[in-house]
Amino acid sequence: MSEQQRIVSVWYPDWPVTAAGFDADIPAAVMAANRVVARTSAAAAEGVAIGQRRRQSQRRCPQIALVDHDPDRDAREFEPIVRAIAEVSPRLDVIEPGWVSLGSRGPSRYFGGDQALADRLVDVNGEAHAPPGVGIADGRFASSVAARLAARRKAPVIIEAGQSPAFCGELPIGWLQTLGESDPELIDLFGRLGLRRLGDLAALSAVDVLGRFGHAGVHAHRLASGADTRPSSTTDPAPERRLDHALDDPATLSSAVVFVAKQLADELAGSLGAEGRVCTRLVVLLESEHGERSQRSWYRSAGLSAPAMVERVRWQLDAWINLPKGSEQELTGGIVLIRLTPDEVRADEGSQLGLWGGQSEADRRAARAIARLSTLTSQDAVTVPVWRGGRLPADRYEWVPAVMVDLDQRERAGGGPMGPWPGALPSPSPATVFPEPQPVEVLDAQGDAVQVTGRGQVSARPAMLRSLNGDDASGWRRGRPRPIIAWAGPWPVEERWWEPDRHRRLARFQMVTDDHDGFLVIAEHQRWWISARYD
Amino acid sequence: MHTAVDLAALSDRVAPPALARERTMPVSEELSGLFVEGGLVRGRTLACQGPAATSTALALVAPAVIAGAWLAIVDLPTIGLDAARELGVPLERTVAISTGDDLGSSQRWPDVIAAAADGFDVLLVRVPTDVSMGALRKLSVRLRQRDVVTVVLGDPGHMGCDGVLQTDAPSWSGLGEGYGHLRQREVTVKASGRRLPGDRRCQLATPA
Repeated sequence: MSEQQRIVSVWYPDWPVTAAGFDADIPAAVMAANRVVARTSAAAAEGVAIGQRRRQSQRRCPQIALVDHDPDRDAREFEPIVRAIAEVSPRLDVIEPGWVSLGSRGPSRYFGGDQALADRLVDVNGEAHAPPGVGIADGRFASSVAARLAARRKAPVIIEAGQSPAFCGELPIGWLQTLGESDPELIDLFGRLGLRRLGDLAALSAVDVLGRFGHAGVHAHRLASGADTRPSSTTDPAPERRLDHALDDPATLSSAVVFVAKQLADELAGSLGAEGRVCTRLVVLLESEHGERSQRSWYRSAGLSAPAMVERVRWQLDAWINLPKGSEQELTGGIVLIRLTPDEVRADEGSQLGLWGGQSEADRRAARAIARLSTLTSQDAVTVPVWRGGRLPADRYEWVPAVMVDLDQRERAGGGPMGPWPGALPSPSPATVFPEPQPVEVLDAQGDAVQVTGRGQVSARPAMLRSLNGDDASGWRRGRPRPIIAWAGPWPVEERWWEPDRHRRLARFQMVTDDHDGFLVIAEHQRWWISARYD
Repeated sequence: MHTAVDLAALSDRVAPPALARERTMPVSEELSGLFVEGGLVRGRTLACQGPAATSTALALVAPAVIAGAWLAIVDLPTIGLDAARELGVPLERTVAISTGDDLGSSQRWPDVIAAAADGFDVLLVRVPTDVSMGALRKLSVRLRQRDVVTVVLGDPGHMGCDGVLQTDAPSWSGLGEGYGHLRQREVTVKASGRRLPGDRRCQLATPA
C-alpha cells in the first residue's frame, strides 16, 4: 500500500535567469538548445514564454538579453538557499536548482502549523531574491503543483490533508507535462480523447489506463488521482545497495572525485537497470580527511541516470568547496570517502522523460551542435529534411533550416511519406540526386537523338548515353558515349496542367550503361537530362 | 519512440580501458563481416569508393542512426533522401550542413567538421581537394578524440583513413530492353586498410 506523506515544495520560478544575475525588471531569458528555459517577469510581460524558440522570443521582445543555460551556475547560486532551508529542516530533497521539497510533519509541528511553516519558508532568503512559491499538500505531485500556483498567486498554497485528490481533479491535464511527469505526446493524446482535467483521467479505471496507455499512462493516472506519488513499486533498498569508495590518498582535485563518482554512478545505475529499476532518490555523502561531511539528498521523479547522478555529485562538491569561511562543515582537506546511497528506487518503465519530452543525451548534444553550427555558418546552411512528396526524386524532400524545426517533435512531424504517392518511381531509389538535372544526350544506334513522341513512345531504341558539359552560350563539350544495356520508360509526368507557367510535361526513364551504372533520365522539351544516379 | 542506446555510457572514456568491442556502433549483418570488431569503431574514419559508394555508405551508417546516433551530412547536396530512408536511415536524426559556395568555404571546412564532431556521432563527408595537409591532420586527431565515426565518400586525401570500402562489380536486375524497372543491385564490397586487415569482402544487395 502506498504512503501518503505530507510534503512542502519550495519553488523559485525561472531560477536559471535569477542565477544568471538578472533582476526581475530587466527583460532577459536563458536559452538551452535554442529554446527559452527561464525568463524574467519583465520578459514574461512582453509575451516571452518557456519553450519558445529564440526567434520567437526576440520577436516578442526585441531588446531581450539572452544567455546560455549553465546548470552548474544554477546549482552554485542556489546553494545559499539550500543551506537556509536546511536550517528550517535538514531533511530536504533537492530536485533541481530552484526546487526543493521537504517532509512537512516535523517542521510544521515545530513552527506551529502549516501556514507558519510556509511563511517561514517564503522569507527564508530574505530580500535577496523574489520569494518562492511554497505549496503544502499530501503527496509530491500535488505539493509541486501547489508551489507553482503559490508562485503565481504570491501566497503559499496549502491543501488540507485528504484534499489532494479533489485538488488534483480540478487541474488541467497540462500540469503533468509542466512538471515533467509525462510526455507531450501522451498529454496531447489525452486531450484529443477528451480528458481535459486530471479528474477525467482519474475517473478511468487503472486497468483500462494500463491497457490503453501503458505504464506511462498509469503513472499519470496515479498522479491525477492525487493518491500518492510514491508508487507501490517503490522500495527502500537494503543498506547493502549503497556504493562507496574510500580513497587512500585524499583527493584535492574535484576531477579526481568526479572520476570516482562516475564509476560508482555507472555501477549503481547499471546494477539497478539490470533489475529493471531506477533510482529516484539518491543520498550523496562526501567526507573529508578531517571528518567534515557533506550529505545531500537528491530527488528526481523520472529517476536519476548515471550522468544525472554525477552531475549532482559535482554540484554538491562545488557547493561544499565554496562554503563561506567559518561555516560549520567547511571543507579543510581532501576528500576520502564518496558514498552513493539509493534511498528510493522504483520500476523503470523505460521512459527517459526530459523537459522537452524524451530527449536523449545524443539528442541534446546534436541540438547544441546545430545551434553552434548555425552561427558558425548561417541559419540556412544547417538544414533538416522535410517530406514534401513528388514524382521526381529531387522534389520529394525539402531541406528546411534546422533552427526553424521542432527537432524533438520530428518523429511526429512525419519524417517520411504518409502513404503511396501516385506516379512515384518504385524503390530502390537513387542514392545520388541532382538538384539541377545534368544535360545529356540519348542516342540511338545510328547516333541520332532519341525523341519521345506526344503519345509517350520513343522514336528509336536508346543505345548510347553521352554527357554534355558547358552551356548554350559557351558551347557544349560531349563526353565519351556509353552503351546502354538496359532501359525502360517513358513514364510520363504531367504536373500542374492547370497552371500555364508551372505546367510540366516530362518523361522518366531508367537506363543502365555497360558498366552497370544506373541512371534516372528525363526527357523534357525535347532535351534529355540526368536527374539522378543509382550510386 | 526509439530506445536510445546510452551513447554517453559508450563514450565514457573515464571507464577502465575497454576493448574496442564496447566502443563500437552497430552495423548491418551483411557488412559486419568486413570489420574485425563486428561493428563501427568510434573515432575511426572510413572511405567508401566505387560505383555504389553512396548507397554503401548509407547502408553502413543506418543501424547506428537507428540506435540513436545523429548523422551530419556535410556538403553533399546530392544525397538521395528516399534512398537513405529505404536503406534504413532515420531522417529525423539526419542534418545537412553546407560550408557555403564561396571561395572561403574550403578554409572553413575543417572548422565546420570539428564543430559537427562535437555534437554528432556519425559524419558523412567529402574531403575538398584544397584543404591544407596540416589542417586535415589536426582534424583527424580531433575526430578521433571526439569518438566520431567519419565516412568519407571518395578520396580521403590527406585525412587519416583507417580503412577503405571499395565497391566493385555492380550488377543490376529487373530492367530489360524497354521493359521492367530497376529492382535489385548486387555489388561486391572489399575492405582494406590499416584497421581492416586481411582480405575481407562481402556481397551487398540493395534492396536487401
